[in-house]
Amino acid sequence: MRSRFPLLSLRFGAAAAILGTVALVSSIVAQTRPTTPAATPALNGGATYVGEAVCIACHAPQNKQFTHTVHADIFRKNPKNELQQKSCEACHGPGSNHLKNPSDPANRPSLVGFTKEWGTPVATQNAQCMQCHSGGNHMFWDSSTHARNQLACSDCHNPMAKVSEAGLLKKQTINDTCYTCHQQQRAEFAKRSHMPLPEGKMSCVDCHNPHGSTAKALMKADSVNELCYNCHAEKRGPFLWEHAPVRDNCLTCHSPHGSNHDKLLTVARPFQCQQCHDNTNHQTNLYNAGQLLGGGAAPNSRMIGRSCQNCHSQIHGSNHPAGARFQR
Amino acid sequence: MKTIFRLTLTALAAAAAARLVASPFATTSAGVGTTLSNKETSSVNASRSADPEWAAIKHTPTGQMFKWPLVVPKLEDIAKSASGWEYSGQLEVGYIGGDADERNARYRMYQDFDQGAYVNNFDLAMKKADGSFFGLSGGAAGRRDQYYGVNFGRANSWTLKLYFSETPHVFTDSYKTLWSGLGTGNLVLLTGLTPGGTASTTADNAAVAAAAANSANRTSLSLTRKRYGARLDLTLSAAWKVYASYALEERKGARPLGAVWGNNGGTAPIEIPEPVDYDTKDLSAGVTYAAGLNAFNFRWSSSIFDNKIDTLTFQEPYRIAPQGFTTTPAAGAYVVGRFDLTPSNTSHNARAEYTRKLPDLYNGSITAVVAAGTWRQNDNLIPYTTVAGITSANVTILPGGDWSSVGSLSRPTARGKIDTRTADLTLSLNPSAELNVKLKGRFNESDNNSDPYYAVNPNAVYVDADAATAGAQTRGLSYAGLTGVWGRPLNDATGSGGVLFAGAPTPTGSVVISNKIYSSKQYRFGPTADYLLSKTANFTGSYERDTVERTNRERAKVWDDRFKLGYVNRALPLNSTLRTSYEYGQRRGSRYLTAYYEDAMSAAIIAMPTTVGTNVTSWAVRNNGALRNYELSDRNQHIVNVRLDTMLRPNLDAGLSFQFRESRYPDAAFGRAKDSSDSANLDLNYQPSPKQNIYSFYSYQQSRVRQASIQQAGNVTIGVVSPLGVITPENAATIGSTPGGPFYSLGNAWGARSTDRNHVAGLGFKQELGKATFNLDYSYTLGRTRLAYQYAIGGAINAANAVFAGDRVPDMAMDASYLDASLRFPLTPRLSARLVYRNQWETIRDWHYRNLDGSPVVAPNPANAPTVVGLDGGPMAYRVNWYGVMFQIKL
Repeated sequence: MRSRFPLLSLRFGAAAAILGTVALVSSIVAQTRPTTPAATPALNGGATYVGEAVCIACHAPQNKQFTHTVHADIFRKNPKNELQQKSCEACHGPGSNHLKNPSDPANRPSLVGFTKEWGTPVATQNAQCMQCHSGGNHMFWDSSTHARNQLACSDCHNPMAKVSEAGLLKKQTINDTCYTCHQQQRAEFAKRSHMPLPEGKMSCVDCHNPHGSTAKALMKADSVNELCYNCHAEKRGPFLWEHAPVRDNCLTCHSPHGSNHDKLLTVARPFQCQQCHDNTNHQTNLYNAGQLLGGGAAPNSRMIGRSCQNCHSQIHGSNHPAGARFQR
Repeated sequence: MKTIFRLTLTALAAAAAARLVASPFATTSAGVGTTLSNKETSSVNASRSADPEWAAIKHTPTGQMFKWPLVVPKLEDIAKSASGWEYSGQLEVGYIGGDADERNARYRMYQDFDQGAYVNNFDLAMKKADGSFFGLSGGAAGRRDQYYGVNFGRANSWTLKLYFSETPHVFTDSYKTLWSGLGTGNLVLLTGLTPGGTASTTADNAAVAAAAANSANRTSLSLTRKRYGARLDLTLSAAWKVYASYALEERKGARPLGAVWGNNGGTAPIEIPEPVDYDTKDLSAGVTYAAGLNAFNFRWSSSIFDNKIDTLTFQEPYRIAPQGFTTTPAAGAYVVGRFDLTPSNTSHNARAEYTRKLPDLYNGSITAVVAAGTWRQNDNLIPYTTVAGITSANVTILPGGDWSSVGSLSRPTARGKIDTRTADLTLSLNPSAELNVKLKGRFNESDNNSDPYYAVNPNAVYVDADAATAGAQTRGLSYAGLTGVWGRPLNDATGSGGVLFAGAPTPTGSVVISNKIYSSKQYRFGPTADYLLSKTANFTGSYERDTVERTNRERAKVWDDRFKLGYVNRALPLNSTLRTSYEYGQRRGSRYLTAYYEDAMSAAIIAMPTTVGTNVTSWAVRNNGALRNYELSDRNQHIVNVRLDTMLRPNLDAGLSFQFRESRYPDAAFGRAKDSSDSANLDLNYQPSPKQNIYSFYSYQQSRVRQASIQQAGNVTIGVVSPLGVITPENAATIGSTPGGPFYSLGNAWGARSTDRNHVAGLGFKQELGKATFNLDYSYTLGRTRLAYQYAIGGAINAANAVFAGDRVPDMAMDASYLDASLRFPLTPRLSARLVYRNQWETIRDWHYRNLDGSPVVAPNPANAPTVVGLDGGPMAYRVNWYGVMFQIKL
């Protein structure tokens, strides 16, 4: 069983190293396109840059808020390239055509806006953001479910004001931002057992990358279990005795956001377990109200307290030599 | 590292700072710990005034109102030091009274309140003209949900962040401990309880009940997560960035754990407190590059988990009678039990991601990912029992093979190893301005390279190794290259049923003799097309085949064909945006094998007897042959998502969403047959002016699961005429596992349906009254679960018990109400007061815990070992009213 691993692992590592080397070399030497836009880009009908002082002359309230953002700190205090030096126009594009008739709604295409009212196409808006925010966390944006649903960056972010402490979100927190569309998950976090999001100790972004991922559900790991082990490393094992569905996928038994049942389970025990376990002995029994404590007939441990886990307590796996049934 | 953090925290606590924060400190692509806050963070910010000078209400491109920015100082009003640092900050401190000391576990599950002085939050932000910055923040000082962060650096050049966050997790406040040593690996029974029990089970039950009833022994069980971390980000250029991070998470505390005795379990299960003392060290480092046509990420991450308590030994208050084993001394020998707790383990992962734009190939791009990782543990294995000298009939222990020694094991360590590999490739092409086509392929593997473990005592032999051979043969049995006595003594060796031939050379086929190694490979590929119908509408369609191959499972291969259609229109009347999708998935697979683990059972050593009249159930029955595990069974799934955002008025927006998900399992006559989950949600936001904001929301959710099973009936005996024919060695397994046969009699069939229903509603508003600000948030949650079942009287339940069984268990119910109100008013330009009121209550009913808190020793016949000793009384209702006065001090 062990013999093939080292070779395969080496091959995989070698493949990763080769790909990485090729990528690095190609990225450095194959600069067939400029890294910053031309001084006069095609945006905004061929307009030219006017400088942020001109913008601020009319947009003082916006500037007051913008001054407190990380964008302002970068653009004004430590820009890394020509584009970042453009400040307001780095995002909104060159403003000379906007100045020709700034109050006319018909002239809105002369500037890139990030609101519903302004009407700039989402693709154009997002392309502006991607001038600086391509790669890194955003590498998989184009194939993300958010992109497919025509979300704009500014559907979640407000780059003009520091509403959130970080990330320039449109709401105060990550969770509040996500809940504006994911109301169903907000309701799940209100259930009896839930991840500690309502208590402010976790955020959606602990598990999901809203900017894209190669995994399902924008997960930040290559598998559900790999994601869960980030916080539940004690369940990573691998154990001497493994419970097959546990090794396969935590979501076989658990509802990740919240549940009406203890421990984020999808169904009350013992019925949760009996969906798969119909072997000999007690697994096949119909446990019922008569077996509750005070139920009238003989109480049964499967209907009391931890139910199946009164005995099979190491259900995520056992390292005890006798732990085949997860009892030690 | 911890010392550095503690020094840092001391400095933070000493700082007279600032404005409230919730500071994400990790990236959105990796790692956890993206927020620094607690339950109280948002309520403070909510009472801050909106910026009256802000231009106007604006909406996101979808049509949701942007939150009105809070008031910030003008540039000329920002405080400045002589050295050029601009600074601002805030500190909120005060006093909490009322019922804040409530100890209820539901109330305290992830938060920590107490009466008395409270440092709610503080922060300090400093900036310099060259982009240098320094910030610190924190809250809930001294409480178990406290958090602190400090970050400094230069914008767009480098940032170093240090943080500490603490999260409580309270499991129960109604635990009745019978032991001292809570939180350690050695639980010693309290005075009045006899280790190993007495000769009188009645007396033992009474003693345990008395100890449980002693209020001095009532305690809460909880753990605390403390996460210390540091992250360095360097922006080398607009294109190149590197980062490195380290985090240490400590988890300490205790939680309930079931412990049982005897053959296969069932005797006197008792809830003991499992100690938790974990350290997890997370390290990662990476480099990112993005410029022009190329972007590249490389990341290395490691996670090192250390369980500081390897085993849990606990004294046992009952006299456990060993089943099939004899001991010296025979009575009261089982004084302690021992668990092997979760093993320490390590994980390492390397990941490379690359994308390149292909402007000359239909304006396309290609994205590739490769990742490889490994998870390992090699804990020392412990012997089966702490009791020396255990013997059983028909087994002779050789020198060095005592069940209490590691000589009874087939190897000394666990040797667990799983290797993970991922490769992902996406080609994106734009044949026209309107059309985008993507081709995706993905491979993900969890390759379990753990060494198989064989449960064999190599230092023991059978007195009579083979009942089929005349006369006694003193030898071990051989399998997989190992020879000895097979199986494993159960539950600290109080049950011999797990040891093949222990007691007598009676053949049996269901003794577990080895573990199973589970690996999986996933292949996913398919195209996606996205067509722009206009500048504001698009249509998407995708197909995907998701294939999973698993080893040692009922089904070697399943494939899921998924079709998805989506439509988005962002220019509907009332400036509405509609997003809708429909997805259909059809999962099928290879042949389903019920008895897939025969090589891990004694059936692999002992062939099924062929003699007429022999009960061969232990060979013939593994599971109901018509049951399908729902993660492997055929499945037809429909998913509909609808979401509408609309601007009813410029200052009033509404969000309406529905989701319907239904899965049917067409080949599962037994097991899960169907599940569904539906939800409907409505949000309303009204913001008539900067001084006023009102919101409300409502969600309804319903989920159902339907399942079926058959209660065991008779045995499978060679030569017997069954409803499916005469049982022979050749057809015993088929007849034994087939519904309608002697074991799975259709008259014993039963079904169950679980229905969860939830209503969640919320309402809040903020009103500025002159210089004062009033803020209120209210939410109500109602959850109900009905679990009903159907059966034939005389089948799964007899007539006498059916009277009590009825057709369902009592509904589970939870109602929770949360009201938070605050009134903030300035006292001076730099000092404000905030009056806070919190009303919070919850009622909860869970039939698992009905009557348990008052009667933890469930022993219908006190002279017998208890059915269960449930020392956790379960979730309970609470009602809390607390109030506070907080003072906000601005720098």
